[in-house]
Amino acid sequence: MQLRTRIAVTLFLLVAAVLAAALTVVSIANRRNATREVNRRLDIGSLVFGQALEENRKQLAQAAQAVAADYAFKEAVAARDTDTLASALENAGARIGASLEVLTSLDGQVEAAAGTNLRPGTAFAVPGLLDPRAPGRAHSAIMVSGARVYQLVAARVRSPLPVAWVVMGFALDGNSLRNLAALTDLGITLSVRHGATWVRPVSTLPRSTRLRSGEYVTRDIPLLTRPEVSVVATLSRSLDAALAPFERLRRVLYAIALTSLLGSAVAAFWLAGDITRPLRRLTAAVARIRGGSYDAPVDVHRHDEIGLLAEGLQVMQSEVLSRDLAIRRLAYEDPLTGLMNRTAFVEALDRAVAAAGVPQIVAVVNLDRFRRINEHLGFATGDAVLLGIASRLRELTAPSTAVARLAADQFAVFRPLQVDETPLAWAGTLASRFAEPAIVDDQPIDVSATIGVAVAPVDAATAEALLRCAELSIEHARRRKQAVAAYSTQLAPAARDQLSLLGELRRAIALDELRLYFQPKWSLTTGRIVGAEVLLRWQHPQRGLLGPGAFLPFAEQTGFIRRITAWTLDRAAAQAAAWQSAGRSLPLAINVTADDIADARFHLQVAEALERHALMPHLLSLEVTESGFIDDPGRAIEMLSALAALGVKLSIDDFGTGYSSLSHLAHMPVDEVKIDRSFVLGLERDEQFAAVIRSAIEMGHRLGLAIVAEGIETDSAAEALAAMGCDVGQGYWLSAPRPLADFEHWLREREAADEANRAAAAGSGRMPRESRA
Amino acid sequence: MRTPAALVALIATAAAYALGCAAAQATTVTVRVRTAAGAPAADAVVVFEPLDRHAPVAPAHPEAVIDQIHKLFVPHVKVIRTGTAVWFPNSDRIRHQVYSFSPAKTFSLKLYAGAPKKAVVFDKPGLVVLGCNIHDSMIAFVLVVDTPYFAKAPASGDAQLALPAGRYRMRLWDESLSAPVPPRTVVVGDSPLDLPVTLELSATPDPAAAWP
Repeated sequence: MQLRTRIAVTLFLLVAAVLAAALTVVSIANRRNATREVNRRLDIGSLVFGQALEENRKQLAQAAQAVAADYAFKEAVAARDTDTLASALENAGARIGASLEVLTSLDGQVEAAAGTNLRPGTAFAVPGLLDPRAPGRAHSAIMVSGARVYQLVAARVRSPLPVAWVVMGFALDGNSLRNLAALTDLGITLSVRHGATWVRPVSTLPRSTRLRSGEYVTRDIPLLTRPEVSVVATLSRSLDAALAPFERLRRVLYAIALTSLLGSAVAAFWLAGDITRPLRRLTAAVARIRGGSYDAPVDVHRHDEIGLLAEGLQVMQSEVLSRDLAIRRLAYEDPLTGLMNRTAFVEALDRAVAAAGVPQIVAVVNLDRFRRINEHLGFATGDAVLLGIASRLRELTAPSTAVARLAADQFAVFRPLQVDETPLAWAGTLASRFAEPAIVDDQPIDVSATIGVAVAPVDAATAEALLRCAELSIEHARRRKQAVAAYSTQLAPAARDQLSLLGELRRAIALDELRLYFQPKWSLTTGRIVGAEVLLRWQHPQRGLLGPGAFLPFAEQTGFIRRITAWTLDRAAAQAAAWQSAGRSLPLAINVTADDIADARFHLQVAEALERHALMPHLLSLEVTESGFIDDPGRAIEMLSALAALGVKLSIDDFGTGYSSLSHLAHMPVDEVKIDRSFVLGLERDEQFAAVIRSAIEMGHRLGLAIVAEGIETDSAAEALAAMGCDVGQGYWLSAPRPLADFEHWLREREAADEANRAAAAGSGRMPRESRA
Repeated sequence: MRTPAALVALIATAAAYALGCAAAQATTVTVRVRTAAGAPAADAVVVFEPLDRHAPVAPAHPEAVIDQIHKLFVPHVKVIRTGTAVWFPNSDRIRHQVYSFSPAKTFSLKLYAGAPKKAVVFDKPGLVVLGCNIHDSMIAFVLVVDTPYFAKAPASGDAQLALPAGRYRMRLWDESLSAPVPPRTVVVGDSPLDLPVTLELSATPDPAAAWP
């Protein structure tokens, strides 16, 4: 129910209830008053009725006594002059309006009569009336004669002894009852009982009146009570009649009640509207604010609580507005440099690509080794460098140039491609802006950047895709040790529909499409197989067998590498365990990425795999690239320590390519260092490389680390490395990575050959090489 | 021969009566009138009617008086012989109207005070009830009898009469009777008689009916 309806209905019901209660109380009081009044009237009426009967009696008695005392009458009695007596009686009765006059002998024989059809000589038997012993006033009685009721009074005729009775009576007929009724203002009804039958010979009320119906209050006055006959006068008063004045009052009250009820309904409705109307307006304002529109003022002006609410809402709206602006700024602006952030840049680029038919050129600028600036010179200096770079980039004042800071050490720029310029040329101009060192606190700081460029809509049509293309170009540039690179489709194998590639990788894991390949490591001193590195191939259902370059870089970019590492860990551990239980202790090495090392739970995952397959920890080796330490060396060392505590072997992969700090290396709980293949491949070409390898071996040995050389492809390289003191070798010179069955077969043959060789020429570090696959 | 003797006797008797020396020949009769409860019935009237043939006796008291004092007839009960003239003097200062509707004597004295002009002669036997037309409570009874032998019981209830020997019919009346007392035959000899009588008095007396 709406608030307005609820308020109105509540008020209305309240008023209705109060009125109903008041009316009920008034009605009850009225009825009680009326009943009391009627009873009082009946009390008075009863008295008046009794008085009237007594008056009647006195009147009758006077008349009867008067005629009885009349000397002439006595003479007539003595003379038994019946006709004279009758006329004398009639005359006396007429004076008071009596309706019956009788002269009887002392023993009740009628001697003369008037107003009745009693014949002389008949008995006039009215019990209690003609009792000579009764005291003087008592000669009165009620007589029932047929349907008529009389009030009788008798007086004795004395001459001078009692000789006769004069009886006079009033009929209690309609007239006399009407007189009494007028006197008492009550209804009077006579009821006569003959035996067990009641009749109602006369009444002042209409015939149909039902006295005992509750409409009437009655009072019975017994006039005559004898075994065979009774007479009762019933005084009555209609309660309705008594209620009539109250009824008028009640009608007035009902009218007042109805009026006030209507009034209250209207008032309640108006009041409720007065409250809910501004509330509805406030609700609309709230809905508008929720919808993100903060400019329209809250249009409610009142001087009450709702007014306060409206003011509060207004204040809230403006505060939300200012906060919204702040949030927008935070959302679209890099707080340090004031440049666009990635979000703003992506939106702007998308808009530019969608709007103009002009090709847009996008450059992503990655600062090289910026982290080291932060680490060695402090964040304040780092920030100052970033600000300097930002201002340099801002100087690109060519029209419609947008500059953004995408990440800590990554900037991006886009603008329309000029007709006569090439992307790479423009990238070069950009790169030239980094030739000068940045000056912070009068100190020159060298900042170099790698820049990748892409062009819309040639390379990609969306901002995100363009950025990815540019980032791929950066990687390409870095691989080629160049400062700039432009995107070309050759860079895109992994960029082909990457979303579907991710789906396919998921499926590859689920359907076991990945394959483990094993490349053996051998001891350069003894020639024995001391382990194998596990490498991945993808048996793609459509594209055939794919090398790691086809999916691992992508997996690393997207973070999916974690799943792949987990899968590899499990499978490699299972295989090592299988060999372990077959009596072959061949340590297996898997590659672990920076992402894995950054996962605080990674060591638990390894421990779980060891436990699951009941693998001796030293049979598992983890190869971590240098990049795994760069982001957060402290965390990396913690993780490596945890892994070392499990007893697994740790090795630094691709040593020499990254920027591993030698000081870090000293603190790392690693067991071996794998010299990057690029050094080994260049070993025979370049004496510089040989020197690097030699010093690396020397340093590693000083630190108690085993040195592994990978990428050994030639006889001479193997010999040179062995001569340098390198401990373990790996490469095509001995064996290409092989699938499991092949590898096991190879291993068995090799062992058999080993046995034979050992028997023939023991102690040689050289081994029969196999032909390149 | 017998006739003169009888005649002599008769004359003698008559003489005796005439001379009033018959006392020697009268016998005292005491009638003790009592109520059923044994109380003396004062004012009860005893009447002896001789059953033997007697010579008519002249009224001994040709006149009587019934006074009216303090709105009362005095005496209340009066027995007289037939033919007696009764005077009704009014000793009250107020006036009275004496009347009777009794069949034995119906009369009415106009309202008067002091001495009436003439007496009322009660010439027929029977009970006459007297009243005053303006004072209902004034009632007197006059019993008119044909015999000289009657008495009204005094307060003791013992009525004494001197009766010549002979046979009599004894009748009794009292104003409180409602019916006649059956007459009794009484033989009076030489010796005094003592007659106890009990009257059944009624709460609803009918004095007239008691003297038919």
